[in-house]
Amino acid sequence: MVGPYVVRRMLQAIPLLFGISIIIFLMLQMAPGGPLASGEAQAAITPEKIERLRAHYGLDDPLPIQYLNWLGGLVTGDWGVSYDTGQPVLQVITERLPTTLALTGLAFAVSLLIAIPVGILAATRQYSVFDYASTGLSFAGIATPSFWFGLMLLYLFSFQWDLLPSAGLTDLREDHVGFAAVWDRTTHLIMPVAVLALIATANLARYVRASMLEVLGQDYVRTARGSGLPERTVILQHAGKNASVPVVTIAMLMVPELFLGAVITETIFSIPGMGALFVHSAELRDYPVLLGILVIAAVLVVITNLVADVIYGLLDPRISYE
Amino acid sequence: MAVALVLLLAACAGGAQAPSEVPESEKYGGTAVVAMVQEAGGMNELFHDQSGAFLGGEAGWVVEPLFLALPDGTYEPRLAAEIPTVDNGGVSRGGRTVTYRLREGITWSDGKPFTAEDLVFTFDVFRDPDSTALVPVDYELVESVTARDQLTVEVQLKEASPTYLELWKHVMPAHEFESTAVTAEHPQARLPLGTGPFVFTDFKAGDEIALERNPDYWRDPDLPYLDGITLKIVPELEVATTSFLEGQYDTVFFFTTGDLPQLEAAEESGAPIVVETQETDSWVEWLFLNHSASGDPSVPHPVLGDAAIREAIDFGIDRQGIIDTVLGGFGTLVGSPIYSGAFDVDIPPATYDPDHARQVLDEAGWEPGSDGIRVKDGVRASLMFQTVSGDHTRELYQQIIQQNLEEVGIEMNIENVPSNIIFGGYEEGGLLATGSYDTMMSRDGNYVDPASWMASFTCDSIPNEQQTVGETYGHYCNPEFDELAQQAASTLDQQERTELYSQMAQMFHDERVAIPIYSSTWGWAWNLQLQGVSPDYWSGVWPSVAEWYLAP
Repeated sequence: MVGPYVVRRMLQAIPLLFGISIIIFLMLQMAPGGPLASGEAQAAITPEKIERLRAHYGLDDPLPIQYLNWLGGLVTGDWGVSYDTGQPVLQVITERLPTTLALTGLAFAVSLLIAIPVGILAATRQYSVFDYASTGLSFAGIATPSFWFGLMLLYLFSFQWDLLPSAGLTDLREDHVGFAAVWDRTTHLIMPVAVLALIATANLARYVRASMLEVLGQDYVRTARGSGLPERTVILQHAGKNASVPVVTIAMLMVPELFLGAVITETIFSIPGMGALFVHSAELRDYPVLLGILVIAAVLVVITNLVADVIYGLLDPRISYE
Repeated sequence: MAVALVLLLAACAGGAQAPSEVPESEKYGGTAVVAMVQEAGGMNELFHDQSGAFLGGEAGWVVEPLFLALPDGTYEPRLAAEIPTVDNGGVSRGGRTVTYRLREGITWSDGKPFTAEDLVFTFDVFRDPDSTALVPVDYELVESVTARDQLTVEVQLKEASPTYLELWKHVMPAHEFESTAVTAEHPQARLPLGTGPFVFTDFKAGDEIALERNPDYWRDPDLPYLDGITLKIVPELEVATTSFLEGQYDTVFFFTTGDLPQLEAAEESGAPIVVETQETDSWVEWLFLNHSASGDPSVPHPVLGDAAIREAIDFGIDRQGIIDTVLGGFGTLVGSPIYSGAFDVDIPPATYDPDHARQVLDEAGWEPGSDGIRVKDGVRASLMFQTVSGDHTRELYQQIIQQNLEEVGIEMNIENVPSNIIFGGYEEGGLLATGSYDTMMSRDGNYVDPASWMASFTCDSIPNEQQTVGETYGHYCNPEFDELAQQAASTLDQQERTELYSQMAQMFHDERVAIPIYSSTWGWAWNLQLQGVSPDYWSGVWPSVAEWYLAP
């Protein structure tokens, strides 16, 4: 039953993505400045050449034509060429995508690993010191701007105490092998993952707690307790499953948020992923690359929504896919 | 100036470890790590104009020029065997034929010989309408290029021009290409092959660029000392600077005047770095004034069109105050638009004299209104004041200028925007190109030959709907100035050019075409373990790369 539902949702997504593509294309064009403008004190270039560049990149076509050309390419796998590097956009993005996916995935895993136990514990020990402390920390986490948190971590762990490297993913001075290489990679990832996971963890912990509290007050939980089941089984199996339904939705919707959060994290920690690419391309008005990244982000939102709905149904048999 | 330079060099020799202490054999090996703040799309300057591409071009790491500019604006031959002149027969009597002779025995880093064919090929790429190379303006003068033999190239110019030594700062290796229709998609546009001491090996976008030693460097097979260089891309300057002070990078490409106080303070408090500054005029921060109303040079600007306003601005800005309070003393005053290179004209800058500024405005009929801002014939002396957004140092002295001018009765409304909005083309609505601004602060003017810089103040440089191309500063149009610019750009007589540029500089200064604010002190910093670093007048520490080595 899930199969046809997924197919139907995918078909519904097509006009949605089509609409999104028009909006992002137009919004980028509306932003002031253009790709052929550049900085100060540059080498003088003949104006004729600038005109040639404009024609080469199809920037002299009317906007609807530019859009149709781009859309046609998007469907056929030709996402255009970066104005900046001259490389195909798909290549530019696929070089960067694994880094960002790994960073986002790690941050997501870390968020789940921390938020779920903390949320459950806080709910089962409502109004305890632990509950107050975790609630306080969650609000602090939600309220902390991630660029500030990133710079603070850098300042303390890299510059003051010299414990962690400040930039990139590997040591530039030395080539490590075996365990040393794994350790090298780990030390480079700790701070970026922490910054990226911060807000997601804080949010998620709040949802887990609220959702658990709601379920724990229900009759069937009291029945389960009354029937003499161990508290552990009651909380994890009976209450936990029902409490996880809203949490799954929220967690899945956080994936695209984490993905976009990489924009800040990657720039601060000089990590060669999609986020840093987005900032760099935005500064240069590298339209083809920007459009490519936005399309991927849009697809990611659609997919995670779909996944959330499917998991929702698996967890709660009352939901039907009709 | 010469004295200052000598003192500087002496101080440097005394402060840093004397290179002669390290035995030659111990200088070899190792990889230097350089943080690069602005990543270029590619490292070939002919296809990419972001600052990072400098390290793949003019810095002389990978690609070398035919002629190298010296501090006094003269040249020495690098890939060329000699400087073509009328006396040695390199330049014809009328000045329209120039013969370039190449040095014998130069090879590309892949071992192929460097020949006249490569120069011809490079020119053909520039001429090919299907190539997207960013053609330097100097090539517009070239009629034809012919190889006379393996090492001789003859160039026909459309008209005699003194700028022929600016040609071929970058030569492309003909054997790497199948046609002259070279576009930015070509691998050579990303990582160019050259004749220099280093070779590009890898470019991981957003991450790092790797260079390796050229084992058969033609200039001296014993150079360079380093095995390689890693350029690590670090988008945040603050992060790059702090990591550099912690010793994670050997140097940073590149620091600006605003970073110097922090670097000097770190050096004094014991950070393992060397800071060196160059007390000569380099890039000047200009206040460019829009002389026309809404981009039309036949209608003067309602406020700036009045010479009294321009004079009041000139006398109303406390330049030394900016240098002392915001720049930590790192900056010099300049009054002339041509302040470096071969035709350096010495004009003292206006002194800070707000009383004089007020008097000039009073005499011209600009009466203070109720809020202190002056008004004349219903026009308020209120101007938009813009520069590239996000530069904290600039924002600070922008506020000083705003304050200074308010005191004489001119209102400056700060409204900063990103660089591509300022420098965009006419059709993209670029503010400079379309004349949609009042005052704009930007750095410029440091040229070996001032011809192209002066050309951006001529009537021809102003774009309009029919002629959308042109790079202008100020929408200034004065046929007298144009006449001088035209003469200076078409004579080979150095004496005559000196005279013409001196007249132009004076006219520029008297008319206050643009207002110089200060000249940036140039500075570099590198880690103590990196040695053999020496600054070049025009290009900084980067061209000395072949002599760099890591302390044993």
